[in-house]
Amino acid sequence: MFIHNFKYALKTLFKNKMLIFWTFLFPIILGVFFNMAFSNIENSEKLEIIDIAIVDEEEYRVDDFYKEIFETLSSGDKKLFNVNYVSLEEAKDKLLEKEISGYIIYLDNPKLVVANSGINETVIRNVLEEIEDTKDIINNLVQLKVQEEILKNPEVLNYMESLTARIYEEAVNELNNVQVNVKDISKSNLSYTMIEYYTLIAMTCLYGGLLGMTAINKCLPNMSSNGKRVSIAPTKKSTMIVSSVLASYVVQLIGLSLLFLFTIFVIKVDYGRNLGLVVLLACVGSLAGLLLGVMIASVIKAHENLKLGIIISVTMLGCFLSGMMGITMKYLVDTKMPIVNKLNPASMITDGFYALYYYETTERYFFNIFSLLLVAGILFFISYMFLRRQKYDNI
Amino acid sequence: MIIFKAFLKVLNKYKATVILYTVILVFFAGFNMKDTKSNQGFIAKKPDVLIVNNDTNQGLTKDLIDYISKNVNIISIEIDEDKINDAVFYRNVNYVIYIPEKFREDFLSNKNPKIEIKSTGDYQASLASLILERYMKVATIYNNKGMDEASLISNINNTLNKEIEVEVTSKLDNDNLSKLTSFYNFSNYSFLAAVVFIICLVLTSFRDEKINKRNIVSSTNYKKFNQSLLFANIFFACLLWLIYVLLSLILFGNIVFTLHGLLYIINSFFFIMCAVTIAILLANIINNKDAISGIVNVIALGSSFLCGAFVPMDFLPQSVIKIAHILPSYWFIKNNELIKTLETFSWVNIKSFMFNLAIIGGFMIMFISLNNLVSKCKRKKC
Amino acid sequence: MKKIIEVKNLTKEYKSLKAVDDLSFDVYEGEILGLLGPNGSGKSTTINTILSLLNFSKGSIKIMGKEMTPDLYEVKKEIGVVFQEVAVFEELNVYDNIDYFCGLYISDRKLRKEYIQDALELVGLEEFQKYMPKQLSGGLLRRLNIACGIAHKPKIIFLDEPTVAVDPQSRNNIIEGIRTLRDRGATIVYTTHYMEEVEMLCDRIIILDKGHIIAEGTLDELKSLAKIEEKVTVEGIVLNNKCLEEINSFKNVQDMKYGADILVVTYKKGKNNLLELIDYLKDAKLQYDKIFSERPTLNDVFLELTGKDLRD
Repeated sequence: MFIHNFKYALKTLFKNKMLIFWTFLFPIILGVFFNMAFSNIENSEKLEIIDIAIVDEEEYRVDDFYKEIFETLSSGDKKLFNVNYVSLEEAKDKLLEKEISGYIIYLDNPKLVVANSGINETVIRNVLEEIEDTKDIINNLVQLKVQEEILKNPEVLNYMESLTARIYEEAVNELNNVQVNVKDISKSNLSYTMIEYYTLIAMTCLYGGLLGMTAINKCLPNMSSNGKRVSIAPTKKSTMIVSSVLASYVVQLIGLSLLFLFTIFVIKVDYGRNLGLVVLLACVGSLAGLLLGVMIASVIKAHENLKLGIIISVTMLGCFLSGMMGITMKYLVDTKMPIVNKLNPASMITDGFYALYYYETTERYFFNIFSLLLVAGILFFISYMFLRRQKYDNI
Repeated sequence: MIIFKAFLKVLNKYKATVILYTVILVFFAGFNMKDTKSNQGFIAKKPDVLIVNNDTNQGLTKDLIDYISKNVNIISIEIDEDKINDAVFYRNVNYVIYIPEKFREDFLSNKNPKIEIKSTGDYQASLASLILERYMKVATIYNNKGMDEASLISNINNTLNKEIEVEVTSKLDNDNLSKLTSFYNFSNYSFLAAVVFIICLVLTSFRDEKINKRNIVSSTNYKKFNQSLLFANIFFACLLWLIYVLLSLILFGNIVFTLHGLLYIINSFFFIMCAVTIAILLANIINNKDAISGIVNVIALGSSFLCGAFVPMDFLPQSVIKIAHILPSYWFIKNNELIKTLETFSWVNIKSFMFNLAIIGGFMIMFISLNNLVSKCKRKKC
Repeated sequence: MKKIIEVKNLTKEYKSLKAVDDLSFDVYEGEILGLLGPNGSGKSTTINTILSLLNFSKGSIKIMGKEMTPDLYEVKKEIGVVFQEVAVFEELNVYDNIDYFCGLYISDRKLRKEYIQDALELVGLEEFQKYMPKQLSGGLLRRLNIACGIAHKPKIIFLDEPTVAVDPQSRNNIIEGIRTLRDRGATIVYTTHYMEEVEMLCDRIIILDKGHIIAEGTLDELKSLAKIEEKVTVEGIVLNNKCLEEINSFKNVQDMKYGADILVVTYKKGKNNLLELIDYLKDAKLQYDKIFSERPTLNDVFLELTGKDLRD
């Protein structure tokens, strides 16, 4: 009986086009969209080479110091700028046409002209200020050194010019060689767009509730006329329900596997190192999603479409709170209202994947796994209580 | 008129859906306004930096912290390694600076203490790194000269005090225009989802085989019937459009009354009319009522992701932008982005605006002709 | 005769409404029992309580001598039900649908295969095995619905309005099928509000109204309940009051109605009623379109007992 019903539950679920679209195809389509939209976003947040212009007039031409620095800044591997040397009129045009982020004019002091404030503009300003610092430091150093030399040997006053030149040289050298002892200890897996794909997995897990609900409805006499037929048959209701739910779980896991294969091999989503734990999380997560559907199907007495709406809304709200429509949301909820995401199965799944991806330790991961198991347990218990009560009076 | 009334009645049944999409839009706009960070950096701002000071807040250490605080946006969260890691991952903090124990002492005694940092690697982090290194460089050089702490600090500050004269040429209210632009960009999704979904549902209800037969046998002229239906659709779209324009007015206030605002409004009107033509065409093609929500979701989400309604166009890969050209949403959003940067309303500037509008118009004509073609094919089949 | 189903003092209340009120009846082995009554008279509720789909407030139900409960599987095995609404899987084809429901009763695959063929043959769907329910016409779908309910060859079959909205051809097919089932030894409980079907099929009839049994017996027994013996209808006739009074005074006339040029005269027992009326009309030189005489129908019985029409 178990196998007979299991077989047909599988068959009906696979032939339900709408269901298969929402649980199999839709997540993959969404994944493609995510990939198109987000694949470049982290790169475009890196500092790019900035186009600037320098007004090429007399004041600039004679200032070797600036000329040298801008030549360094606009060449080599770590170059910061693309420098155009143009006339004032051209610079103004270029700024208006947005070909450059800003231009520099040398009057007495350098002056920066930009169209509006922005990150590139801020960087240019910072670099200019640093150049001014350098100039100031060198002047100070030269001054100090010269004083020192004069104290040591007043005769140097006679060949001041060559002394200054030498000291200047030394100061520039010193400045170029100064090493700041800063060490980057950031974690390597910093790609936050991964969260989007994790929410996608979470969504698919919870959409499994649709499968669970559909399977259960076929066994409940108050939900479908087929259910009436099933309940007059000489079969245990529990056998029927368990085998139907198991069938939907199998369907769900097949859908998830397809999504995983797609995200791993086509979109190249990084799930961290431990594949076994990824599989475990997917299985536990989809179990919770499935039981959510079962719970809604057995507790709420309403038309199938309403239950469908409830499952979809719960799923989308859960995914929204766990960062599907902008990862800032997840962080905001995690820090400001942690209880919300501690109760949100979508967030548990997302956070579990995040923990695997970002952290070396597995405590956080297992916390999420146990939360999901707890949720699944509670949902199972509620469904069980309600289904047991419905011996009679079910139409 | 009777058809119009029936349309409104059917529409009334689906009002929850319309409200849903509108709420999503409002929520997005509200979220956007409160927290500019969700824009992920296209509005320039100071980098968010967290300083973890393991030294005492005195002397040179204090000066370093003061300097950095002046130039960045200091974030304070609980000092817990996991929380810091989370904050970095979710870009709540761009840069974390760990000042080691005895930093001041070690630095002054030329031991060159190590400063550890965590970085998100984006441009704000680069900027923060520039700021930190600038201070450290200057401090190291002066320190090598063997000064006492007081003169060291004063020398550092004197040097770092330099400010560059900056002239900003644009007179635009960039902050508000950006927000308004992202509101209208996002409305691409709400317009498409709500208009296409609702019109498709209503039209398929009317075109349901049995009902359609009844309509055909009724004494109403078939052409007139279709005209009334079209009129009803346009009425619904206009209503929705008005609501959204009003919404932008409530959310953004005066800026909507400027010439910029007017252009946004005109642009969105063209787009929603285009959405109506898409809806009519789709309703003609789709026969299965159950399939509508799937198809509409794919179209609305697809257009929005590909054309920069959710993620700004600048951040999309070139290949995606190229594909996006075949979608009307692209021209709508491109126009919004154009309006944002319009300094003057000279003919040259307006010309590209008009060009984009014309392309949206072209799409409308294309969809209508396709629709007629489909209808013709269908009639032949009957 | 052996009692297969015994219903005693069955009462089912929905809040304030008594859907079934103190109902008692038996079903005997091998008979076709008709449950007749207008919409909302409690037919479906009665069947649903017998099947343990609904709980009931008072009374007892015994099937094959055993108190019926939701987990009385040995008895449930012998029951087949055809519901009023079509209960099949949209996603499965005709064969799979029957196989699924039959499989709930019979685990032996080989036997099941045989049974399914029999069921297909019985309802005449052999050629449609691979069709999806969506592709079937209303009548064929009803036949599938029946096949799903009876494929496991149950001893007791409940048919709840199986012919609602069915074309005449399918209807005949269904009625033939029910007869075949009875001939094979099944006991059948048949609910409907089409009295013609009841008259054609049923050995015994129970008439329900507002949850009560208002009459019970064989067709002839019930018809005798109607105090009338004959009904004569004259169409297209114009009569004045004097004529009407004269007709009303004929010896066997029980009642008379006239309106819209139609005259209906009902008679108690007696002979040559029609002839007498025709003679009178001839003598009075009255013109009319048609005249015909009928025996009373179950509708007349119902009308007699409740004062209202069965058909509404």
